Amino acid sequence: MRAEAIDSYLRTARRRAIILVVLLLACCIGLALDISTGPSFLPLDQVWDGLFRPEQLDIPAQVIIRDVRLPIALMALLVGAALSLAGAEMQTILDNPLASPFTLGVSSAASFGAALGIVLGIGIPGLSPDWIVPVNAFLCAFGSVVLLEALARSRAAGTQGIVLFGIALVFTFNALVALIQFVASQEALSQLVFWTMGSLSRATWSNVAILAVIVAAVIPFSMRAANAMTAMRLGEDRARTFGFDVRRLRMFSLLRISALAGTSVAFVGTIGFVGLVGPHIARLMLGEDHRFLLPASLLCGALLMSLASVASKLIVPGVLLPAGIVTAMIGVPVFLILILRRPDRV
Amino acid sequence: MDDQAPLTIAGIRAGYRKVTVVEDFTLAPIAPGEVVSLLGPNAAGKTTILRSLAGLHKASGSVQLGTRELMGMPLAEHARYVTYMPQTLPDRVGLTVTEAVMSALRAGPADDSAANTRHLLDTAMEVIEQVGITHLASRELGQLSGGQRQLASLAQALVRQPRVLLLDEPISALDLHYQLKVMKLIRQIASHDAMTVIMVLHDLSMAARWSDRVVLLADGRVEVEGTPEEALTAQRLAKVYQVSAAVTRGEHGLSIAIHDTI
Repeated sequence: MRAEAIDSYLRTARRRAIILVVLLLACCIGLALDISTGPSFLPLDQVWDGLFRPEQLDIPAQVIIRDVRLPIALMALLVGAALSLAGAEMQTILDNPLASPFTLGVSSAASFGAALGIVLGIGIPGLSPDWIVPVNAFLCAFGSVVLLEALARSRAAGTQGIVLFGIALVFTFNALVALIQFVASQEALSQLVFWTMGSLSRATWSNVAILAVIVAAVIPFSMRAANAMTAMRLGEDRARTFGFDVRRLRMFSLLRISALAGTSVAFVGTIGFVGLVGPHIARLMLGEDHRFLLPASLLCGALLMSLASVASKLIVPGVLLPAGIVTAMIGVPVFLILILRRPDRV
Repeated sequence: MDDQAPLTIAGIRAGYRKVTVVEDFTLAPIAPGEVVSLLGPNAAGKTTILRSLAGLHKASGSVQLGTRELMGMPLAEHARYVTYMPQTLPDRVGLTVTEAVMSALRAGPADDSAANTRHLLDTAMEVIEQVGITHLASRELGQLSGGQRQLASLAQALVRQPRVLLLDEPISALDLHYQLKVMKLIRQIASHDAMTVIMVLHDLSMAARWSDRVVLLADGRVEVEGTPEEALTAQRLAKVYQVSAAVTRGEHGLSIAIHDTI
């Protein structure tokens, strides 16, 4: 019986590793589909050439792939990955399945920071203009996360209290953004509307690079905290009696969440749902050993966002719908199917 | 460290905000392998004492293992000597019993190499087998009954092989068979591994039968400390629990029959 149990553990670990590889491949396929779809359809062999042998293509196709579609497609993957990883960490450290950057007001706070930068030009003096908006978004996101964490730690509020407070944050920051919209010039206003919609269409190579650096920098730190987070799922007392420094874990996790969510929102606006659903889909497929859950959340988020980006171009031909709308439309049915299959894991 | 170092607890004082729950909790030195039960009515401060000893609750006083002061020690170091098992293991968690037990072993610098995983897995399985839940090893915590989760929780605590094991009501959700099985196992591991066990129990007969020493608490103070025969008298139970009881010495130690409230 013991050998069976050991076998079963190792088999499960292998199965999870395979699921991660499959998710990674699915993300690559999502990326290719995302590049091939648009006002002019590019066959997949052209996409392949465009990525690896651009000199084989004519100039317009090269430009479409390199300057228009690839940044958007990469941005979709990165934003999905960032928000979903942030959501997974948030759900664990706040011990709340409803936690995500969107539902608890972190995205709204980041929007507010971005709005301050865009409309009123308020930011940290001395920063280059490229960085003012992301840094503002990060600082506001971090501020809201610190408030949430203080509330979670005080134990004055239970799970529901935290969600209620998060919802209050959503409304507060949305009101503040509306106030800024009210005083904004016509031009600044149109820029701001793009935030509230959540759209990938303004992805540029420099934004993609910044977010890629942040995601790449955060991943190793998240993975190092994976064992501590698994222990946290069994209760804070338990994690501490195993020797994990829970306060430090929370603090650094919050920093990561703020960097991921703040930067994503600064570049593409508030995209809901993916940060909530990505981790849940990962959990339903792989359980809660965070060594698997964190990378799986990241990949599920990236895949969801990539598929949403494809769908946003196909639903109304010739019109690019904001991706934020589409993530919900794709995410809800997927989520529902999974919940119905494994109600015990939600 | 010297395996024969006794545990000395002196002057523990702890509370919540301005309310003092535990006052001057001091015990005679506890030898390795000794099993001590904390008894007392609700709100006597039993869990607060355990959490204070575990370094999870802010407290003043001194807890020494040999000459090593545990109070105020950084948690990572503290965790090498002391493990605390809370009353419950959460149910809506997507971890299997094996994963939960493994998580107790993965603290500290993570080494996820295949060889190390295999070693940890063998260690975890040994304890899971000792506790008698090998058949549940691949089941998720959410699919277990309260009692089964309590056994998984015990396995998780034992796998760390601490010098001092603190158990908060380890048999509260178990049926009679497993209550006895767990108490026997705890005794056996305590003497075999020279592990000091301090546990909170509600069942006086169980405490009397399986403890070397019982500590009767009332209002955050030690009412009496001693062997079950010395400490658990009808008069003391009447005073601390407000019940009338008959205490007789039988084949399996003390037999305690509670008659009525006073």
